[in-house]
Amino acid sequence: MADKTARYRTEIQQMMYVSGETAEASPETTGMIEEIVRQQVIEMLRQCTEQASRRGSKSIATDDLIFLIRHDVAKVSRLRTFLSWKDVRKNVKDSDDKGAEPDIGGGDEPGGPTAGPVVAEAKKNKKTKIGLPWEVHSFYSQEVPEREDEEDEDEEEMNYATLQRLKKADERTKVMTKEEYVTWSEYRQASFTFRKTKRFKEWAGFGVVTDSKPNDDIVDILGFLTFEIVQTLTEEALKIKEQEDLGKAVAGGEQAGKKRKAQGLFNPPSEGRTPVEPRHIQEAFRRLQQRPNKQRAMLIGRKGLNRTPLKLF
Amino acid sequence: MALPSTVQNLECDSVEIETMKGALKDVYKSQDNWLSGAVSGHSADVFAAGEYDLAEDGQLEEDASIDEQPKTLPPPKKTARVIDEDNYEDEDEGEDEDEVVPSSSRNTSTNALLSPSKSGSSPVSSDKSPTKQIEQIKEDGLQEQPKTSEDARKQLDKEKRAIEEAAKRTFHTQFYSLESDKMAMLEQQKLEESEQQTDAEVDRVDSSSNGNQNGDQHGSLSQANLGASSLTLKHLIARIDMKRNQVQASDAELRTLMNEVRKNRSKYASEEFVNQEELYEAVDKVLSELKAMTEYSAPFLVRVNKREAPDYYNLIKQPMDLGTMSKKLKTHVYKSKAEFTYDLDLIWANCLKYNGDPSHPLRRNAISMRKEADKLVPLIPDLVIRPRAEVEAEERRKQNGGEDDGGDDSDDEPIMSSRGRKTGAKGSSKARKTATGRVEGTPGVDVKPILQLNGLLGVAHEGSDAGLDSNGFATPPIGHPGSVTPSGLNGAPGSQPDGMDLDGSSLNGITLGQSIADDLHEDEEMRVWKQVTKKGRAIAVKERSRLFRNDRLNIDETAPLRHKAGMRRWLRQQKNGHQTARPEAGAGAEVITQETLAEGMEVEEERVIPDYYDPVSAIPDLPAKLHWIEDSEGHVVDRHEECLRMSSPGLFTAPKSALTDKFEANMRQVQETRKLCSKIGVIKQMQLQAQLYNNQFPKYEPEQFVEADVDTFVTSNDGPIMAPWVCKAALSRTVGKLCYHAGFEELQPSALDVLTDLAGDFFGKLARSFNIYREAPKVPAIGGSEGVQWQERFTNEEVVLHALNETGNDVAALESYVKDDIERVGGKLGLMHDRMKAHLAELLRPALTDAGPDGSGAFNEGSEQFVSGDFAEELGEDFFGFKALGLDSEFGMSTLSVPLHLINRRLHNTYSGPVTIVTTTEIFSPLPPLEPVTLEIAKVQIGLVRKFFLDKLHANDDDPLPDDIDLSGKQKQPKPRLGPTGKITSPRKRILKDQPGNAKKKKKLDNGSAMDTSGGKAGTVNGIVKPVTPAKKKMLQNGGSRMERVESSQTNGSQNEKDDVGMISPESIDR
Repeated sequence: MADKTARYRTEIQQMMYVSGETAEASPETTGMIEEIVRQQVIEMLRQCTEQASRRGSKSIATDDLIFLIRHDVAKVSRLRTFLSWKDVRKNVKDSDDKGAEPDIGGGDEPGGPTAGPVVAEAKKNKKTKIGLPWEVHSFYSQEVPEREDEEDEDEEEMNYATLQRLKKADERTKVMTKEEYVTWSEYRQASFTFRKTKRFKEWAGFGVVTDSKPNDDIVDILGFLTFEIVQTLTEEALKIKEQEDLGKAVAGGEQAGKKRKAQGLFNPPSEGRTPVEPRHIQEAFRRLQQRPNKQRAMLIGRKGLNRTPLKLF
Repeated sequence: MALPSTVQNLECDSVEIETMKGALKDVYKSQDNWLSGAVSGHSADVFAAGEYDLAEDGQLEEDASIDEQPKTLPPPKKTARVIDEDNYEDEDEGEDEDEVVPSSSRNTSTNALLSPSKSGSSPVSSDKSPTKQIEQIKEDGLQEQPKTSEDARKQLDKEKRAIEEAAKRTFHTQFYSLESDKMAMLEQQKLEESEQQTDAEVDRVDSSSNGNQNGDQHGSLSQANLGASSLTLKHLIARIDMKRNQVQASDAELRTLMNEVRKNRSKYASEEFVNQEELYEAVDKVLSELKAMTEYSAPFLVRVNKREAPDYYNLIKQPMDLGTMSKKLKTHVYKSKAEFTYDLDLIWANCLKYNGDPSHPLRRNAISMRKEADKLVPLIPDLVIRPRAEVEAEERRKQNGGEDDGGDDSDDEPIMSSRGRKTGAKGSSKARKTATGRVEGTPGVDVKPILQLNGLLGVAHEGSDAGLDSNGFATPPIGHPGSVTPSGLNGAPGSQPDGMDLDGSSLNGITLGQSIADDLHEDEEMRVWKQVTKKGRAIAVKERSRLFRNDRLNIDETAPLRHKAGMRRWLRQQKNGHQTARPEAGAGAEVITQETLAEGMEVEEERVIPDYYDPVSAIPDLPAKLHWIEDSEGHVVDRHEECLRMSSPGLFTAPKSALTDKFEANMRQVQETRKLCSKIGVIKQMQLQAQLYNNQFPKYEPEQFVEADVDTFVTSNDGPIMAPWVCKAALSRTVGKLCYHAGFEELQPSALDVLTDLAGDFFGKLARSFNIYREAPKVPAIGGSEGVQWQERFTNEEVVLHALNETGNDVAALESYVKDDIERVGGKLGLMHDRMKAHLAELLRPALTDAGPDGSGAFNEGSEQFVSGDFAEELGEDFFGFKALGLDSEFGMSTLSVPLHLINRRLHNTYSGPVTIVTTTEIFSPLPPLEPVTLEIAKVQIGLVRKFFLDKLHANDDDPLPDDIDLSGKQKQPKPRLGPTGKITSPRKRILKDQPGNAKKKKKLDNGSAMDTSGGKAGTVNGIVKPVTPAKKKMLQNGGSRMERVESSQTNGSQNEKDDVGMISPESIDR
């Protein structure tokens, strides 16, 4: 296990940086995050396998994976966009035989600014929409080609979610210096999977959890999801830390005031931001594991503990 | 005749004294009078007998013991005596007058003596016992003793009843919770237990001591019964007394006889001891009264347990308790009132001594009990129990040396004394007696002043009594040192009842108030209520609790039944309830005077509790519509129209709402789209499959969803209609609809069941949590309008929100469901439908898109006939033109669904020959209709053909062979068309090609029709094939049909072969 914990340290740090954590996180923190992510990935794979076997298929499909996060509209929509772009890229590759720009490889950032160059090509190659089996079109036995003029409402929502994300990223990068921004955008490429598929498979215990050999799509999706997990976790932990700092400032304000009375104009600035600590991560994880009432509704009036599986986020 | 006047007097008195009892007594008396009158006819006797109430064996005993005095007694005197006794036995009205006659002289003298004190209660003893002394010395005194105590008791009773009445009156003003009932029941139980225990112990003592009391086993009937049942005995005694000289038996004999006859003797009655019965009766009553005050008496019922108070017996040397006292009473330990009171005082004193702390709760109990005891004790006659032998000896002694009068009296007194006190006395009677003693014949005039005096001077009694005592009116040795004390004690309460008579109610109020006043801790009304109803409540609670076991109704327990009195009571309550229109209000308040004689006789202690306490009497009112009502002729009025109602429709269907509408619209949309889908599927299938059958694709004709409601039914109550199975069916229908809406076309029943159960479970939980919030305890009102003290904990809105939250929902979630899962899905469905339609149109009109260079123009030209029914419904045009062709009617098809093979062909037609122009301008006149081949025609044909025809006809049952044109359905051939080039384009070939393994019949037909068409279009075909005459054509045709035979029979005609080859050629050219 020890070796595993250190595997993605850099990546996790980069992801945390992208998520707003500027300070250097300790190995304990990254190790904990890594463990959490791993746990989540394994849980996802397990559920996917279950789902697939319920369908009667041995190998897991992308649909299975997407099904797990179906309630997160924004994520689903980004995934779909990502998949369709991936499709496009493949087509482009096939037709032009040129190969896509290596830059596009950041699979987790399909809607991001890096995807810009592809758009023109995409116009040519019709972007296929990824249909999900629980959507309306599966009501019917016949597959019907899409029409050009149709603009799905989902897309609007998707766009909205993307815009929100971009806005957040923008807020984060507003105060950055040029160098920082370069680093930041570089870090956005961080991925658990990109060009490390083998490592990832090993790390997540693919052979153990699921029999089938997941295809590239699945690995890509997992890469995207892991990034999301780290991001969510970091954001939550940062929130907690912020609250904690606030509480400390209020409580310890007086003592601190006494100490700092003698401070002059040229005193060094107060020490920089402290990194997120494992306990923040722990607390963030706890909060993210909280069950909504909806899942407990059927347990009203029942006795005993109810064991719940790991909640994916 | 003295009777009427007496009766009148009696009535007056009774009215004055006690209105309630009066009526009853009058009845009794007049009855008695009448009875005795009937017996003797002697007016005095009548009177005497009438008044003679309860002279019992005591009298006889006396008679026997005193050495036979009848001869010395002058008849008038005897009558007087008898009257005397009667009077004070029988509620003693009117005795004044009677007594005046014989005893006036003595009265005056004694009155003179007593007047300073005005003591009616002075218990100055004469020769035998305190009572006897009084009796002998002075009539007043004689009757004073028992009378006052009896009066007092009666007063107390009355008082109690008044309190009860008052309490009853207030019953309906309050609602009493049942919380204190358990305590009451437990206390009552304790009391009963202690009594039982005492009884048991006494019984043991009795059995061991071999029961030295004679009369003990006799009387088991209660005292109250005695009055009624001993009437006969009374007359008997009177008769015996009257005819004493004629009776042979000795007094002793008579007495034993009476003893045996008498049934109702008290258990305390004893032959050997004088006064025992009276004393013990009184003591017993007082004791049980005290015990019955369970509110306070509980701690005193049993001996103090050493475990509870280890040091108790160090402090208290002489423990005493009510239980021990009962025991002592039952074992006849008490010899006098003083002993009894000593014990009683001992209890309170012990308690106060041991519990020195002034705030100790038991002190309060003790003090209250003492107060009560002080009230009751004076009711006990101050008697000393002495062995009869002694008394008799004394009497004899006195008689021998005594005055005739005194002897006479003393002779009488003991006789009655054992029993006489029983029936009680009126306080006023004594007063009246004194009054009449002075002013003869004017009863009741100065009663009140004297009484008042009496009351005022109550305190002085002691002194005067003591004085009298010390004066020693021939006082014999009393034999008990405490006899003075009781007499003194007697004084105090003696005044009380007197005063009561004067102004009963007000005094009642005072005493009541006083007793209440010392209880500061409890609400006055509540306290009264508690005390008054305690016993009743305890019994009721007991009865109620008997019906339950482990908080469940015990089905094995017998149901409670109303006994007679209970039924009467209940009826009365019903009546009252109807009168006052408030059943509870009038329930408890019943007036004793309303009771009939029978009710009075019936011994049933009225329970002083409101109705709702009684498990048997608490019956809810029937709703008016359920009453049994009869019309004037006695027929029952049928009233079920009033209680039955029709259920309103729509109970089990989804209510109309915007949401439901949208929902259903979506479902319809899905259905429509599915229909389109199925068509697309068919078309796609047709493209793959060359030949299709009509039934290959089941027609997809979804019916619209309609929620069926249950038939209207009749229901009889107003509540919600509970029909679990219907509800479940309705719910599962709704669940099914939801599933359909979610895209499921069908559902497995088991899956639907599971879903329904889950949904039911969920809604049950939702409703339950909803209810929890709705029924949350009220909280004090904040702000709000005045007068409103409490408000609901949650407003309705809050209740809904909380319940939703509890089940993981909120308004936003519900809204987003409606928005996303219904409205937006609706939009998507619409979109999908449009897409499907477009797709279908494309499939149906490939020419539009894929017609190729020559196709598009041609299509426009041919569009008129390139039209058909069913799809056109969607497209809005007669797409295949079948309607125009009248095919639908020809095939008898109601719908315009196109026969698939037609579409098929047509499609191929369009694909293969898009240039099908029908220039059907007839150049030649149409040919005459062909004659069908009949038997006759066949016979005139050439030999070759004849055989063929005959075979054919034979196969056709000799019917004319139909022309191919007339063939219907599949066999019919489309008209061949000629291209602009003049070439025959025959799609049949293609079919043949497409379907190499086609059915033979098909092939035949195709061939046949090919011939036919070539025949039909002779003009055009001529160029290629040889010209054909009509006859030839027929032949050809026949040949065509023959070919089938040829093919089947393998006897091919070369010509036919040729024809076939000839037919193929254009097709091959076309290719």
